[in-house]
Amino acid sequence: MKPSRRLWADRLRFDMAAALAVCALLALVPLVVRGPYALGIVVVSIYFAIVALAWNLLAGYAGQFSLAPAAFAMIGGYTTALLGHYAHVPLALGIPAAVVATALLGWVLGKLVLNLSGPYLSLTTLAFAEIARVVIGNSHEFTRGDQGMHVATLTQSRVGYYYIFLGVLVAVLLLLYALLRGRLGRFMMAVRDDPVGASSRGIDVVRVKSIAFWVSCAICGLAGSLYGTFSQLVSPELGLLQQTGLVLSMVVIGGMSSLTGALAGALLVYMGSEWMRAFGEVQTIVFALLVILFARYLPGGLWGLVAARQRKGAP
Amino acid sequence: MKIRAHWLAALSVAALASLPARAADPILIGVSLTQSPPGSVVQGTQVKDGMEIVKDLVNAKGGVLGRPIKLVYEDNQGIPEKGRAATEKLITSDKVVALAGGHQSSVCLAEIEVAHRYKVPYVNTNCWSDEVRKRGYPEVFNTSPYNTLVSSTMSTTLAAMGVKRVVAFAENTDFGIGQAKLTGEMLKQKAPQIEYKFETLDRSSKDFTAALLPLRANPPDVIVLSMLPPAAYLVMNQVYEQGLAPSPKTILYDGSSLADYPDFWQNVKEAGKYMLSFALYHPQMKQPPLANEVAAEYKKRTGNDINRLVLQAADSLELVIQGLRVANSTEPDKLINAMRTMKFDSLRGVSGFSTEPGYGYQQWLEIPFVNYELTAEKQPIGQTVMIQAPGQKFDPTKIIRPTK
Amino acid sequence: MLALDLLANGLIYGCFYALMAVGLAMIFGVLKVVNFAHGEFFMIGAYTYVLVSLKLGVSPWLALPGAAFAGALLGWLVERLLMRPLYASYASWGFMKDEYAVVVTFGLSLLLINLVDKIVGPYSFRGPPLVDIGRFAVGPVLLTGQKAIAAAVAVALMVALALFIKRSVWGLQIQAVAQNRLGASLAGIDATRTTSLIFAVSGMLAALSGALLAPLVNPSPDIGAFPAVKSYVIVVLGGMGSIWGAMIAALILGVSEAFFSVYVSYDYRDAFGLVILVAVLLLRPQGLLGEKGREV
Repeated sequence: MKPSRRLWADRLRFDMAAALAVCALLALVPLVVRGPYALGIVVVSIYFAIVALAWNLLAGYAGQFSLAPAAFAMIGGYTTALLGHYAHVPLALGIPAAVVATALLGWVLGKLVLNLSGPYLSLTTLAFAEIARVVIGNSHEFTRGDQGMHVATLTQSRVGYYYIFLGVLVAVLLLLYALLRGRLGRFMMAVRDDPVGASSRGIDVVRVKSIAFWVSCAICGLAGSLYGTFSQLVSPELGLLQQTGLVLSMVVIGGMSSLTGALAGALLVYMGSEWMRAFGEVQTIVFALLVILFARYLPGGLWGLVAARQRKGAP
Repeated sequence: MKIRAHWLAALSVAALASLPARAADPILIGVSLTQSPPGSVVQGTQVKDGMEIVKDLVNAKGGVLGRPIKLVYEDNQGIPEKGRAATEKLITSDKVVALAGGHQSSVCLAEIEVAHRYKVPYVNTNCWSDEVRKRGYPEVFNTSPYNTLVSSTMSTTLAAMGVKRVVAFAENTDFGIGQAKLTGEMLKQKAPQIEYKFETLDRSSKDFTAALLPLRANPPDVIVLSMLPPAAYLVMNQVYEQGLAPSPKTILYDGSSLADYPDFWQNVKEAGKYMLSFALYHPQMKQPPLANEVAAEYKKRTGNDINRLVLQAADSLELVIQGLRVANSTEPDKLINAMRTMKFDSLRGVSGFSTEPGYGYQQWLEIPFVNYELTAEKQPIGQTVMIQAPGQKFDPTKIIRPTK
Repeated sequence: MLALDLLANGLIYGCFYALMAVGLAMIFGVLKVVNFAHGEFFMIGAYTYVLVSLKLGVSPWLALPGAAFAGALLGWLVERLLMRPLYASYASWGFMKDEYAVVVTFGLSLLLINLVDKIVGPYSFRGPPLVDIGRFAVGPVLLTGQKAIAAAVAVALMVALALFIKRSVWGLQIQAVAQNRLGASLAGIDATRTTSLIFAVSGMLAALSGALLAPLVNPSPDIGAFPAVKSYVIVVLGGMGSIWGAMIAALILGVSEAFFSVYVSYDYRDAFGLVILVAVLLLRPQGLLGEKGREV
């Protein structure tokens, strides 16, 4: 028993160390990059990284392949926006409210899909996500529909926002590390690999799945809410299935079931698509091809390559 | 400006003149428009065409302040958030001296915030929503038609038609809902006996029969469209298929100037016949010589007749260029000041920005318009039947109804 | 009468939805994966139909087989290049088959949309109708020639498909592989080739559905989104893998959506189908006619 436990803990620690190293690099970026637009790009990629990490927890570690992360980010953003607009709730309360709301909805969704797996689970989460988007997008009187709602902002300083997002990213990483390091993390992976076997060993599958759901959705909600304050606008476009697909691609390219994979995948894909803007309109075509090729030939993602080498080096 | 006589000569000199022009730093003007869905791509294309023509005309004559004009494009897809990001990129990264080309109201509203924050002049090419003006930002110059103008015209027209029931279909954007609401409010003032209601349609939907079928039992007298392509074309087709309009009982009235888009007829075919249209361009309108030049160049480049959106786009760029000349500098505050105070004759014969707060803030108030009716498939605008010629009253007796 | 109108329209659109969804039902039945690019098969079919008849000047009736061929080819290519790793196990995705399918088909969807946008251009085209009959009345209901003919063609295609599945040798092989892949290959059926066939047929049907709807929805590169989500709802409602289930579910969806959007709420009609999907998955996951799956 002991050697395999040490192996997992080692891998996780290596993973976390790498992720923190990336964050340290990110912290130095504003010293070199000054333009607000370029900094803004990195901020948005950090937003995606947070959502990617949240989804990775749910799908990569707990095996619940949800198609709703973007929708939860949208719900988080709208919670803050609606509270601010109709009840004049300040952001200090509006942002935590978004976290609470999405945690609750995430828990509900988790309960709904308890007995489902595979494509059934994906479709249910997809339906949930689309229902949310349609309801928000078509309630013109209430949410201004497609045109979006204005959101207050935390600070006018672009560099300030950069560090806020980076801070949240580090906090999320620490939270996930704590979660995964303990027994809950291993229970999640047991549920992912073999739910029947896991429950036969006494793991409370229901509880594990529930926790995975509400934690993941709450993190998405937080990311969405913060993003809303950053761009000062939330719109149903945040919750498009396309955005979920983008998050999925980031994790797949970066490497599923690893913290650094999700983080690096998000940064690379988003900044890469921005860089490809220079190629004009072919950027989406190139990106789409990359997604297909990675999924087809590099299933472990980029992190898979790194991890394989690390495993070879282990005693 | 007698350009025509010297234009050909200038073009032949351009080969030589362009060398020193290329050596000089180009003046960058940012254009955020829609080049992919869900926004209206056909609109984005018209705007781009119009601006390219003026840019080429101006550069052929040596550019502005001795430097060529360069247009930097960003695709906002008709999504406000992307427009905001695009505008920020154009201002902070590309360092444009001014922005122009905004053509979708919801996106404009997000973009003017950025322009206002960075104090860069923003020319509103085609965002009709009054809200854009009401914010009162001094950086924003509204050369576009505005919903109050359109709605007050349409409500006058509807009142003059002497009808009883009107149903409007509006797209779910600031433009559509804004226009439909305002038209309703104004109509209530002018003709309280007319029953008016509007229905909001999702611009990305493909099937509107559910909204149309309930009307079949008791069709209204007028169906008003406050929608943009491609959804507008689908609605027209489906309205026609259900036998609702144009019909002997029901008039189809378009409030978005649809008929002069190049892809109009290929998408609606027989459903466009007998459509009544509020329009901002008609060959019978007075055209300054530059407008004729732009029209000729547009016809040469695309094979299509000129339309109002191309002229609006050309106007926007002309405004910036003239502003640069008058200010004799690319400094934003000087440029803004120049654009505000200079005398400028636009391609549509309007000049002078009003300074009234509200919907009229920094807006050209007297934009010429007409009402005409399409009476045959693939009919060129010049051959349509004028129901309200420029400067005249709306004459409902001229409306032709189909016989079936 | 409004109700009759709604019924007629609902049934007609239901026929089109059925054609779209049936192919997806077949793929679901065999591979149990979500295909994000299904809407794009529809789009490619619609574009092929429009371009072949407008640019090559052939009769729309000849453009239909063109669309069918394009769809079949695309389906076959997708299976050959992208889907095979799911079961031929020469990729190490292992337990993550669903993720792989979603990601790869999402990428494919994005690729196809942007390729068409780049090559053909973003303007929409109204497809030429199959017959030139305009509006005509059937009792109190108003139809157009295109709607009537297209619905008839859709029905004919589905009858043909049903016969194909039930009677022909390939059809029986498809049924076998859908029920139990390993068992079928033990019985000597080439499961891989059968899967290829299923993808080709699925692509062909979706493409034909796009071609038939081209005159009604004015195809543009992003038109695939609306049939895709409806197809998922229909396939789940009908029962994963059940072709009859998909057809019936499509008609039910078409009619009930029409009635819902008029009598309950127009704004939320898109959510209606999705709510049905969730309800079905929770209460009766095997749908109307599906079997509870058997694993080896």
